[in-house]
Amino acid sequence: MHYTFQFGEILKHWPDLLSGALVSLLVAFIAFWLGCLIGLAGALAQQHASIWLRRLVRGYVVFFTNTPSLIQIFVLFYGLPDVGIVLSPMTAVLIGLSLNAGAYLTDIMRSGLVSVKKAELEAAATLNMSAWQSFRYVTLPHLAKTIYPLLSNFFIWIVLGSSIGGLFGVNELAGQAIEISSTSMRSIEAFTVTAGIYVVLTFIASAFLYAVGYWGFRVRARFI
Amino acid sequence: MLTLTQQLTNLMGAFTLTFFLQAAWNTLALAMMGCSIGLVMGFLIACVRRTRTRLLLPLRALLIVLVELMRRIPFLVTLFLTMFTLQGVGVDLSFFTIALIAVCLISTAYLAEIFRTGFESVPQAQIEAAQTLNFSQSQLIFLVMLPQAWKVVLPPAFSFMVSFIKDTALASQLGVVELTFAGKILITRGYSSFLIYGLILLVYFAMSYPLSRLGARLERRLGQPTAKPSASFQPPAALTAERLS
Repeated sequence: MHYTFQFGEILKHWPDLLSGALVSLLVAFIAFWLGCLIGLAGALAQQHASIWLRRLVRGYVVFFTNTPSLIQIFVLFYGLPDVGIVLSPMTAVLIGLSLNAGAYLTDIMRSGLVSVKKAELEAAATLNMSAWQSFRYVTLPHLAKTIYPLLSNFFIWIVLGSSIGGLFGVNELAGQAIEISSTSMRSIEAFTVTAGIYVVLTFIASAFLYAVGYWGFRVRARFI
Repeated sequence: MLTLTQQLTNLMGAFTLTFFLQAAWNTLALAMMGCSIGLVMGFLIACVRRTRTRLLLPLRALLIVLVELMRRIPFLVTLFLTMFTLQGVGVDLSFFTIALIAVCLISTAYLAEIFRTGFESVPQAQIEAAQTLNFSQSQLIFLVMLPQAWKVVLPPAFSFMVSFIKDTALASQLGVVELTFAGKILITRGYSSFLIYGLILLVYFAMSYPLSRLGARLERRLGQPTAKPSASFQPPAALTAERLS
């Protein structure tokens, strides 16, 4: 094998890689919070709504968790223009990832809601708390504590999953890597460096989430 | 552009149908072969990780680092990296083989972690009892640990394998002719992309849904795992709907 590694060629592009990493985090962050909102709404609907709405939510979850997010975004980005809706790459990726995350998060949230003891809700009712108050002061703290480890895992997973945005021309880390590798012709180096950045990025995110869990929610979980 | 009904009748032709089936088979083969190899390798890695001899310390450290790294690199980047490295070395492999190698790397890392969690769920007293009875290392693993770890390992392993059927969609980026790539080819032949991608979504669903139902059923039959789920990073497949319902 006669191949001389030239990492300098790639490291020259560090501003692009750094901005790519930030965009990756941003995409993951937005998709995660939108997904959380969808998930919470879905989980509450599954507990309290009418049978048809429950079935609808169930169908949404089953469909989105059993199909690849790549194709979901394909439909949004390449399919919808056939019907007259044109989305920018970023919007399509964000909508796709959020809907996908929302489906998984509905289940995670539901597992948290189930863990709230009925007696505590009854106690809240006895104390004449309104529905909102009992949700805010009884359900939510329980929810946050039980599902926190799952949520932080999920966030890391979304950071990795956001890499498919690169295939649609979103300038996040994987997208920057594809661009750098095609302009500099140094593919091995470009993707090695990118992989390294992803490892560092997710480690920082894990450490941060661990610290928040430890100090904020008293969750003592394994870090690695 | 053809109308929708014309497109649908064209799609039902023998050529496109066999093309689609072939592509679906490639997707399944990629996922199944990758996961079988990953299952074996992951099991071996988990076995090495629970040894305590100083002799194997460097190997253990290396494996831990590799597993941790692989689980923090996106599948897309792993795919590209595998392809460019193999081509840079000068080995002439088909795209399918390259994708298969990447799938194996990832599934080995995740399944090693799942096996490790399973092994940790076995009570220490059981292991000590087996050692007192002078069980050999392989007897300990196959007669004591595996039968008990099975319950903890199987559900997440199963949902992980199901999730791999979906993740192989990314292999289309290399040029492996699996479902997603087949869809792209049909679109360049003039079919509506909305129709084709919609159909492909349905095919993926048809492959993945029965398997995830089977996994959920297995889990209910095995009962609640005794160990707490590992809080370390695992794919969300390990926490899908069926697992929680």
